[in-house]
Amino acid sequence: MTNNIKEIVNIALEMAKEAGCTASRAGAEISVQSSFTVRNNILDRLQSSTGSTLFLQLFTEGRYGYFSTNRTESDELSVFIKNATEATRLIAPDSDRVLTPRELLYSGDNIDLGQYDNSFYSISPQEKREAAFRCSEEIFEKDSRIISSNCEYGDSLELYYMADSEGFTGESAQTTFSVSAECSARDKGGARPEAWWYESSMYYSDLNISGCGDRAMQRALSRLGSKKLKSGKYNMVLENSVASRVVSPIISALNGASIHQNNSFLAGKLGERLFPENLHFMDRPHLYGYEGSRMFDSEGIATRSMNIIDGGIITNYYLNTYNARKLNMSPTIEGPSLLSISLNGTFPGESPKVGLDQILKETGKGIFITGFNGGNSNSSSGDFSFGVQGFYFENGAILHPIKEMIVTGNIVELWNSIKIAGDDPKRGSRWLIPTLMFESITFNGI
Amino acid sequence: MKKAEELMSMFGVTTDDLKKLVKVALSKGGNYADIYFEHSISNEINLRDSEANGAGTHIDYGVGIRVLDGESTGYAYTEITTMEEMLKAASTAAAIANSSKSFYAEPSVSVTDFPERYKSLIPWTGIGFSERVPALAELDETIFKSDKRVVKVLAKISDSNTKILFFNSEGTLAADERPMASIAVTCIMQNNGRTENGSSSRSFRMGYEMITKELIKEIAEEVVNKTSIQFEAGRPSGGEMPVVMGAGSSGILLHEAIGHAFEADFNRMGTSIFSDKLGKKICSEDISVVDDGTIYSNRGSITFDDEGIISQKTYMVKDGVLNSYLHDRISAEYYKTEPTGNGRRESFRFMPLPRMRTTYMESGKSKETDLIASVKKGIFVDNFSNGQVQIGAGDFTFFVKSGYLIENGRLTRPVKDINIIGNGPEALADIVGVADNSVIDNGTWTCGKEQYCAVSCGMPSVLVNKLTVGGV
Repeated sequence: MTNNIKEIVNIALEMAKEAGCTASRAGAEISVQSSFTVRNNILDRLQSSTGSTLFLQLFTEGRYGYFSTNRTESDELSVFIKNATEATRLIAPDSDRVLTPRELLYSGDNIDLGQYDNSFYSISPQEKREAAFRCSEEIFEKDSRIISSNCEYGDSLELYYMADSEGFTGESAQTTFSVSAECSARDKGGARPEAWWYESSMYYSDLNISGCGDRAMQRALSRLGSKKLKSGKYNMVLENSVASRVVSPIISALNGASIHQNNSFLAGKLGERLFPENLHFMDRPHLYGYEGSRMFDSEGIATRSMNIIDGGIITNYYLNTYNARKLNMSPTIEGPSLLSISLNGTFPGESPKVGLDQILKETGKGIFITGFNGGNSNSSSGDFSFGVQGFYFENGAILHPIKEMIVTGNIVELWNSIKIAGDDPKRGSRWLIPTLMFESITFNGI
Repeated sequence: MKKAEELMSMFGVTTDDLKKLVKVALSKGGNYADIYFEHSISNEINLRDSEANGAGTHIDYGVGIRVLDGESTGYAYTEITTMEEMLKAASTAAAIANSSKSFYAEPSVSVTDFPERYKSLIPWTGIGFSERVPALAELDETIFKSDKRVVKVLAKISDSNTKILFFNSEGTLAADERPMASIAVTCIMQNNGRTENGSSSRSFRMGYEMITKELIKEIAEEVVNKTSIQFEAGRPSGGEMPVVMGAGSSGILLHEAIGHAFEADFNRMGTSIFSDKLGKKICSEDISVVDDGTIYSNRGSITFDDEGIISQKTYMVKDGVLNSYLHDRISAEYYKTEPTGNGRRESFRFMPLPRMRTTYMESGKSKETDLIASVKKGIFVDNFSNGQVQIGAGDFTFFVKSGYLIENGRLTRPVKDINIIGNGPEALADIVGVADNSVIDNGTWTCGKEQYCAVSCGMPSVLVNKLTVGGV
């Protein structure tokens, strides 16, 4: 299968050259997926698919176009690329649209990052179906307050190959296996609060099927009897499964396109200390066995361990070739691979385990957030306002769920309120963000 | 018939092939099967730094085969439409059922012609990238000329044309060609060291005739106004307060607060907070809420849905009573009613689900000025970016890019960047005034329930007695 996409990519590059492109980059991916869904302990859905897509970036006469198609038969592809090249010639030239400098590109072997399970094709439909049922049976008829459950086993295989007209080649392969469970419970007043849980891994043998359904059920039951709190300042603990929500606005603001367009609250802040002296954001893309690890980005730029925020100082923007040239800077990487955060310079796996229970105890009282409900942030100012769901806790113990509440603030000010970062990122996440605790944050309720 | 024949030729199938695929799909006892062919071409051209210097074209092609066995679904798709590959997909989907007996009966093929809901008068296929550049340049120039504080303009014109061929085990053969076009712009202004941004867009199922000087002027003015007001805006004190939702894009309240909860899959599964409220009074009799797929050229319109059901105008709430859920074939069978034409999907890669089309509230009798005048302390909101709902708990949110404080019945200070949260049934019951100014918002609204679907929404100005407003 890999040979097939290599051949398509190489043919496409050759066709682009024949059509008159001065440079080109092509990538092809094959995606194989299947899923089995069980609703209320009855098989509800099965899905299966194999797909492939060819991506093309064409550079001609100082102009740039980007194209994709899943029609890769030779005759059709040839016409597509000729038309694409002609179309590219019709737009305005931009001297900053060029291939990445060679010295920045990945040039190593296909290093094993522990992301591909050779047993992918040997897992039978029966095993997959049983995995979904195992999850379901942990919920079905276990508690009369549960109205509905939906459990799913899913797997996917992604093969990717990329090359450019100046000789770069790179490839990757990743498998993912997951089980997930959602359930709804009956509450007073007709409300039916729902909750979910999921487990995922890149190796089938590592998949934690057992306990997933029960965890979803317990989370749904824990949401019964929710109360709205008075507006005011509360300590905020963010569960590791949702903590990335307060990291994303910073990552978006560090993106080169936002910086160049003056549409970022971090524009012009490179080298400045905006955050606490003990705060570190670091990209560690070569860690073995993590979903976010990768050797190169979508331009072929070699990934490397990189400080993003170091001791509270912004040390790097995310710059692809185009945005770097616009800003008269050097390219770094298009975006984070395996982002980690730390409050003391040691990263997950490097320090004694600090998890949720300990953080709730140390915090004493506040709001423990387990999910977000809408909201947004202003890319120019960093002001945010998010709907939240979670629990009120005192003395480190959860007292009751909350409802219809909003957390509001500014993302830079929020991160200056951070007091605790755990050592417990959720396995199977692309970013390694642990449980976080922020002090005295504005919540709106009654 | 002509369009169906044309598309059968394009996808390389005959009616005998289609029957054979359905036969294999039902070979293990499923009670219904459909085949959904799709070929889409989409284009976009981007303006940045006053130059249209990026453009792209994307082609997607394939077929999805679905089998229903009661409420259960088997689904498979392939991007290769040879009989060999399609038969494999049909066999995979068939496995949802496990009977040793097939209930397949060869259908007589009937080609269905549906009423036209859109048409490209000037098809985008005949308009090259270079012909789109002047519109972007004019938009850019108009915005820069409007306000000296403008420092950046990002603009994009995108279009797509999707050809669909549909066949099912009942013999329905239908074909459609669905255009979609949008123009979107973001404006960035700086003033005294502060930066603010605003966005505006329009989207229709139309050809190039959509791009007019009037439209460019309209969205240029809108985006400049939306951005400049941000410099004067602050954040209100948060908490519970009355909220006047302005006409148009406030339809996001309907989409999030009640629309999703009326989608029949959630109700069939018992997970919606409205699951046991069909036929019951749920709000003021002044309120009627519609989901309409028939508005000509509207972004949310379809001639038939993605399971071959004619599009229609469906009253979800009629005079305050929950009148109908939004059905696909599965839920309609469950409730023993007719499908409402809401079975929609993102593409052949997805199975259809009950989805909204254009959701709006009909006009009432009040005047917007009277609604505002009745509020002592609250806010008026009319510019939104996104929303979300928890179907079972009923809690919904929407993010307000800008609005105004209401103090003693008058609009006073502008406000911005606040999330508003409420509970669907409670908020609906808490609407105490409906104005006479219902209007559809024609922005690029896209719903993200498991898969993306183009929708639109609309609303008259309404007064909600109490919602929770995010603030300082």
